[in-house]
Amino acid sequence: MNDESSSSSSNDFNPCPICLGHFKQEAFLDRCFHKFCYSCILNWAKYVSTQSSQQNSTLKCPLCKRHNLSIVYGYDGDSFQQHYINQDSPKSNFFSKVHKFRLQSYYREPGAIYEKFNVLQYWKYRRYLLPNKWLQTWLRREVQALTQEEDVDIIVHHILGVIESFVRLSEREHPKSTTEQKREEFKALIADAARPFLIGRTEHFVNEVELFLSSGLNIEAYDEVYLESLCSVTSGVKSEVAEEGSHEQTLNVPYLHFFYEDSDTD
Amino acid sequence: MQASRARLFKEYKEVQREKTADPDIQLVCDDTNIFKWTALIKGPSETPYEGGVFQLAFAVPEQYPLQPPQVRFLTKIFHPNVHFKTGEICLDILKNAWSPAWTLQSVCRAIIALMAHPEPDSPLNCDSGNLLRSGDLRGYQSMARMYTRLAAMPKKG
Repeated sequence: MNDESSSSSSNDFNPCPICLGHFKQEAFLDRCFHKFCYSCILNWAKYVSTQSSQQNSTLKCPLCKRHNLSIVYGYDGDSFQQHYINQDSPKSNFFSKVHKFRLQSYYREPGAIYEKFNVLQYWKYRRYLLPNKWLQTWLRREVQALTQEEDVDIIVHHILGVIESFVRLSEREHPKSTTEQKREEFKALIADAARPFLIGRTEHFVNEVELFLSSGLNIEAYDEVYLESLCSVTSGVKSEVAEEGSHEQTLNVPYLHFFYEDSDTD
Repeated sequence: MQASRARLFKEYKEVQREKTADPDIQLVCDDTNIFKWTALIKGPSETPYEGGVFQLAFAVPEQYPLQPPQVRFLTKIFHPNVHFKTGEICLDILKNAWSPAWTLQSVCRAIIALMAHPEPDSPLNCDSGNLLRSGDLRGYQSMARMYTRLAAMPKKG
């Protein structure tokens, strides 16, 4: 305490318990206040989360085993930052590569994909009256990607309910309205349902819903077509585009057929 | 990899500096491989291992200290939580209760504590565990003492 009068300075050296070196960026656990380097304790928290099957919301202190909710770091006298133990694991668990891909596609201009599916036919032949068994799973993934939240059941349920009631009521209440009116009404309803959650991405999302429904494809097939259309837009390589073109033909025709004939059985 | 090396080097320096601090433990790093260590530990007093010197082998994983070192007895020992043939040790801190705050030195201390306080309910050596569980303390102690004499003490000339 006095100063470095005694020769005990080496004994006073109090290293980070994990790397045994000097503290690089001091961090504290929020309950027991044990001190570590930020990177050391963060590495340990991440390692522990990879080892357990379920998601951890607490971290046992390596020194005292007390359960802590967060790591406090970056304290500069007035402010500090906090890393919550449960904050990085959920994303890595549910936020898959496909989620990332879907999120990215919302940052792109929707282009060629619109030409692949005949949206107008979907409305003209009133295919929206047929149930789409992939819709719920697809919606869930879509909303997860956009909100980056894992538990989106309420939002999905809400949007599904709006779609179902639209289908149910449209024939009964407005049997005379035109195809175009139906389509407008449908899109407006979904937009209203989704806007509180998706805000700026709502319009794009509504278009995606319409597109997915019109495609009549299952999720894997839809992703494949989507990916192909993105490739053909971004890469200017001739041969690839040509290949894509021939692919397109074979994809378009049979899938629309499938939809007509197998939609009930399959 | 880099982190484990740096940390083992810190432990190495600490061991060099405090060589006399704990007379019951002597940790030695392999000359060419910092991930291989051996230790000599003294059997704790008032146990059947008293007077014996036991050799441990450490294999340190590259993920150390996130993962525990693998430790086994090289010296034969009769103990409920040590495999009689392989020397494998059943100790929670070497498995799921591991914490990166443990060091090779403190692992040695934990093993010495285990020698003094066997856990017969999670035995790797069933004969030894059964002796203790059936209450035959004398039987366990005489077997353990015999093996300590045979394997962990210098041969009398």
